[in-house]
Amino acid sequence: MSDTTLLALFEDIDPAANAIEKLHEMGVTDDKINVISGVPIAHKMLGRPHPRTNVSRFSLGGAIGGFMFGLFLNFGTPNLYNVPVGGQYITPVPPGLIVVFEMTMLFALLATFLGVFLDSYFPNYRPLEYMPEISDGKIGVFFKCAKNEQKKFMDALGKLGAESVKPVEAQQL
Amino acid sequence: MAVTSKYFSGAEKPHETQHEEEDDPRQYLMYDPKPRGEMNQMVMESMTTTSWKFWVVFGILSVLVATCFFYAWGYMISEGLWVAGVMRPSYWGIFLVNTVFWIGISHAGTFISAILRVFKAEFRRPFTRAAELMTTFGLIQAGASIFMHLGRVWLAYWLFPIPNERQLWPNFHSPLMWDLLAITTYVLGSTMYLFLPLIPDLAMARDRSTGWRKIFYRVLALGFRGTEGEWRHLQTAMNFFAFAIIPVMFSVHTIVSWDFAMAMRPGWSSTVFGPYFVLGALHSGMGAVAIVLFVMRYTMKHMDYFIRKEHFDALGKLMLIVTFAYSYFFFNDYIVQWYGGDKWTDILLHWLEAGPMAWMFYQLILFNIVIPPLTLWNKKIRQTPWMLALIGLIINVGMYWERYLIIPVMLTINRMPFTWKLYEPRIEVFLTIGTFSMFLLFYMIASRLIPLIPVWEVQEGQMTHTLRKVGKTHVPTVSEFE
Repeated sequence: MSDTTLLALFEDIDPAANAIEKLHEMGVTDDKINVISGVPIAHKMLGRPHPRTNVSRFSLGGAIGGFMFGLFLNFGTPNLYNVPVGGQYITPVPPGLIVVFEMTMLFALLATFLGVFLDSYFPNYRPLEYMPEISDGKIGVFFKCAKNEQKKFMDALGKLGAESVKPVEAQQL
Repeated sequence: MAVTSKYFSGAEKPHETQHEEEDDPRQYLMYDPKPRGEMNQMVMESMTTTSWKFWVVFGILSVLVATCFFYAWGYMISEGLWVAGVMRPSYWGIFLVNTVFWIGISHAGTFISAILRVFKAEFRRPFTRAAELMTTFGLIQAGASIFMHLGRVWLAYWLFPIPNERQLWPNFHSPLMWDLLAITTYVLGSTMYLFLPLIPDLAMARDRSTGWRKIFYRVLALGFRGTEGEWRHLQTAMNFFAFAIIPVMFSVHTIVSWDFAMAMRPGWSSTVFGPYFVLGALHSGMGAVAIVLFVMRYTMKHMDYFIRKEHFDALGKLMLIVTFAYSYFFFNDYIVQWYGGDKWTDILLHWLEAGPMAWMFYQLILFNIVIPPLTLWNKKIRQTPWMLALIGLIINVGMYWERYLIIPVMLTINRMPFTWKLYEPRIEVFLTIGTFSMFLLFYMIASRLIPLIPVWEVQEGQMTHTLRKVGKTHVPTVSEFE
């Protein structure tokens, strides 16, 4: 039997959390559930697993890359393109620290920004499962279930306070 | 969102003794929630409702930008820098004054958004974006002013380390190179930091728009829906940015100060110039935020709901603290030079106190050090938007004078008296009007295109604030949802 995606809309966190608990009881695993909301809601409140993110790894990678680039810029390139100025050292350390610091921060920030794009698959202009009411404050619980069990899930979530439970199709945002 | 009303339900009937208006918690945005849909509607209306007055101001600013910025700059490029007033001994004129001024203005955005976010200062929520926009737009003007100063602006790429056959390579020992690196980092960092928390609001605007706005917001919202993963990535990034942008912010204005302090000139060679400049930047930036909030509140629809007396009050307190810190560094810088006994520094200080620019020196002290503490201690003044905006304006005039004194005026008094000549700006005056007009014009355009209120942050804050009954009264409490 093929799966269908249902969307249950909730006004509040409590019924949404209860609904997710009920879905677990009914055999829907976390990987088949997705919660969409207009404000960030901590996973603990909904009884959901901690969402994994690689953004901090990107930040660290960017910082290391920037640090290396800063070293290269300050201590490497002046030796490649030597510009003697009034008997000064070609690669002095104190001013080099400034260059290294700025490059470290710049690359870390750029990598963090890039990390959000990569982890979130931005930009994504394909049709997606969504309801505009979510940005008006509703909490949407998407889950996959077998088509022949659709009615059972709709009744169960309706009893738990869902405003509506209905099949949802991907749409152009 | 019903979540809001539920969490707020404890505040429905505060204790009877709290009927006086000043005790009513609903005077605070966080304790006066509205449904999310209504707040979205209000913010959308604030963007789409324009009066004829808006278009009149828009038209005037557009003309000013076209003439004072583009035409004047084009004229200067075609004629050469002789049309400007910069000449020996003041090679750094108003262009550099404007650069330092605009970089200073940009600091408040980061300060309010990053530092207050790190410390979870709740009053920041409705006006972080307005402040962040100031950072980006201010830095654009700072960059433009530097390019104007270059004269042959088309050779700006010589600053970049690009392998070439001319045997030209940037000297990384030079504070001007540090400037390039620090300002580039700050422009890119603060623009990204502006954009990240904007994505959910762009998605909100996408869901409520039609026509060209729908396409505009759809492209910028990047397909954001508000999934758990998207929020998690966004919040992780925003937390990182909030911490990382702070040292960048401090570094930028410190490095700007080193453009001066690294030179062995009277008035410039000072070990406290770094923190003194950073505090000066915050001083002018806070004042500018007060002006922006005042203009937003009185010119944009529904803004009186989001921007309240409490926000002006909190901002006024911050301005007061920054004034004290600024005054401390001003005096520290002054007294050490005064005691130093260097002949040229003595001449410079005497010239500042009794020379032709003394009026500027005393206005600086009056506007930056005397008026703010005399007024901002008063809660009624802090809570009166036009008064706080006026104080912000006064501070900014004072801070502009401060930069003017530090750059062209201090350059006048050097160790070669035969070169002493007071700087007289020429085309720079028009270019200055041009940068100010462009800053205001950008803000006006942004107010029509970008939700200036971060609605999701306001709602998140309202969800975490409740009134808790303690004894015979209700006390405001705030919880953490993270």
